[in-house]
Amino acid sequence: MTRIYLHPLPIRIWHWVNALGFIILIVTGAQMRYPHYFKLMSFEWAVKIHSWLGFILLANYCIWLFYYLGTRKIKIYIPPLHHPVAFAKKALRQAKFYGFGIMVGDENPHHPMPDDKFNPMQQVSYLMIMAALIPVQIITGLFLWDPKLFGPAVNVIGGIQIASMIHVFLWIFFSAFIIVHFYLATLGHTPMAHIIAMFKGYEELHGEHGHSHDEGHGHGGGHSHPKEHGHSA
Amino acid sequence: MNKIRIVPFLLFVAVFIFPVGSNAAKGAEEVDLCLACHADKTLTKKLMNKEILPLYVDGNEFKRSVHAKIGCTGCHTDISLDNHPIVKKIKSRKEYSLSRSKQCTVCHTDEQMRQRLPIHSSLAAKGTCVECHGFHAVQSSAVQKTGVPENQYCMTCHSRQLAMRMRSGETVSVLVNESALRNSVHGRLKCTECHAGFSMTQHPMKVYSDKRAYSIEKAEYCWKCHEDAYRDYESSIHLDVLKKGNIKAPTCTDCHGDHTVASTKKNRDIGITSCNKCHGDMNSSYEASMHGKAFRKGVENAPSCASCHGAHRVESTLTTGIKTGCLTCHKDAARAHNTWLKNPPITLPSFAELHFEGASCAACHSAPGAARAVYLSIFDRKSGKPLPEEALVAALETDSEGLMEKIDTNADGGIDAKEIWDLFALLRKKNTPTVFLGTMDVTNSKDAHLIGAKSEAAKDCERCHHPEAAFFQDIFLVMKNTEGKTTLLRAKGDVLNSIYSIIPARTFYVLGSTSITLFDILFVVALIGGIAVPIGHITLRIITSPLRSLRRMGKGGKH
Repeated sequence: MTRIYLHPLPIRIWHWVNALGFIILIVTGAQMRYPHYFKLMSFEWAVKIHSWLGFILLANYCIWLFYYLGTRKIKIYIPPLHHPVAFAKKALRQAKFYGFGIMVGDENPHHPMPDDKFNPMQQVSYLMIMAALIPVQIITGLFLWDPKLFGPAVNVIGGIQIASMIHVFLWIFFSAFIIVHFYLATLGHTPMAHIIAMFKGYEELHGEHGHSHDEGHGHGGGHSHPKEHGHSA
Repeated sequence: MNKIRIVPFLLFVAVFIFPVGSNAAKGAEEVDLCLACHADKTLTKKLMNKEILPLYVDGNEFKRSVHAKIGCTGCHTDISLDNHPIVKKIKSRKEYSLSRSKQCTVCHTDEQMRQRLPIHSSLAAKGTCVECHGFHAVQSSAVQKTGVPENQYCMTCHSRQLAMRMRSGETVSVLVNESALRNSVHGRLKCTECHAGFSMTQHPMKVYSDKRAYSIEKAEYCWKCHEDAYRDYESSIHLDVLKKGNIKAPTCTDCHGDHTVASTKKNRDIGITSCNKCHGDMNSSYEASMHGKAFRKGVENAPSCASCHGAHRVESTLTTGIKTGCLTCHKDAARAHNTWLKNPPITLPSFAELHFEGASCAACHSAPGAARAVYLSIFDRKSGKPLPEEALVAALETDSEGLMEKIDTNADGGIDAKEIWDLFALLRKKNTPTVFLGTMDVTNSKDAHLIGAKSEAAKDCERCHHPEAAFFQDIFLVMKNTEGKTTLLRAKGDVLNSIYSIIPARTFYVLGSTSITLFDILFVVALIGGIAVPIGHITLRIITSPLRSLRRMGKGGKH
């Protein structure tokens, strides 16, 4: 059994703070919106927790950004667009694996390494999430946090209702995403393999191609990705 | 009863029984003869209304007067050396003054008076010559004015019960209470500092259609000095409605009085009593409010009506920010609200100020049971001001009464979000870009005045931030016309929860209350989708599990 140090400490901290923060933000967001359907806490507390966590996740995002920019590892998020055809083929192969290969026991076509963590589908989706969706969610969150303070910027996008619309759309997206993300995280060689790796940092590689388990296709394969999904959660 | 002493009376009779030439009797001799009796200070006559008319004449004064040359009978034409009616029935002193004044017009004709000083012709018609000029000490105007201060000169007439008659038949008293004037804030001014065009030599005659026209025109006297106040008044709802023909709308003197103008610093009641003339129905709630109670206690900075509504720039409270008035005193309101109205982790006054923009002060500070609503004003994005009703009427090609019918196209009695969108799109098409801005407020203006103690104010966020918040049960489209009349058109309770209202009302957002229903549906769909993916995938993996087992076994065989 081989171990690969796939998740450095700053990334692990960032991931779990982010994961917990996302869940609480989704729940407190829902509490503000649906106080007539369920009551976990008062509106006031939902707002307080939501606001605190928003700023915590803003700081957390900075940890991620500075780490990846500082170490220049940010390139793992950048798809090799200078080879578009090869990249498209690779992405197609990955999609085929998730939709079919995984059912029949094929090996995950992607073998994650520290400098090549993400398969093409992960690369595209995580880049979009980290470079666009999370910043947009943070910015619209700031707008909603104090629309007067950010009044000029709010006016640029048309008004506070527009900011809310974007924030809610992303809330909907992340709510669905986090469910799928969690499911994918359980597709390691054991259901907890990727989750434990995300705590310890080391991904265990089982056998030559990681076939030691029913779902353990290749070195964590596509299922090491769920860890990385976690990064973006 | 005549108190005629026997000696002078006999002297009088003795003189008159001898034939004396009339020419000789004129002038000083005649006067002396008359004064034989009328120099007696106790000589009086009791009139029919029991008034006592003094018959004393100061001979020296008369001889110095301009009438000295015409003698007594020049004016008292019914009396001659041959005939002095002893018993003459006179009803009252007023009647006597009138009859004497008529005698003046024999020499001083209307035409002559009109040319010299137009006001005379008007006053003479009322028979008040003697009231101003006196009976026997009449002096030429040049002499009369010499050394007399201007105000005193004016008061010669205006201290009397004079009145102006309007074309409408109304009369306006031009009596000036001199002591009240002296005690007023204008007490040291000369009359002509306000009454431009008048002087000791000029008294133009003006005729007004009615009393209201008179007081409106007289307001210009005030503007000369009080320019700032007038500029404010120019943009007030009061002048707006006045211009549109509502003669009840106030002008300067309606609130400040005319000659009794008091300093508003000394007489703060003016900010209440003058408003109550028209808005008296608000007074009871004001008196019961914290503000009213403090005012009555004499708290120095307790607000009167004018403190919130503005003294001169009074505007409709539905379409403009009355809170400017509140914040004039409560300058630190944002910081004060920040003690509880804050959004962590950083406490900023802007967060409280944001709430001030979306809700009236009364929304939280009036009685808990007060009815509340959301008022949507249509703001013209070009001017940044509320779109007047006339603009909407023109765009919809209807009249004020037909507005609801034109906007509520499905005629269900309430404006829905699609109809808001249609209105927004129509205005945009007509080159009038708009934005619908909401304000949360109490519906009854009496409640708006009944501001309670700070401890009674609402601090419960969910009063506003809740899908079922009372405010959002009643939503109105509000507009005012250029006359200041406000029109309310009822909208549906869910008008702000539709995708159709996102763009028109894009600047009005109340967390938890203006949520878009379609996004709730999307959220549920996304959750179902998110859950369906793992369930579907797991199901397929379970179904295909035998395939993988077979493959493993195959691979195992190879091994």
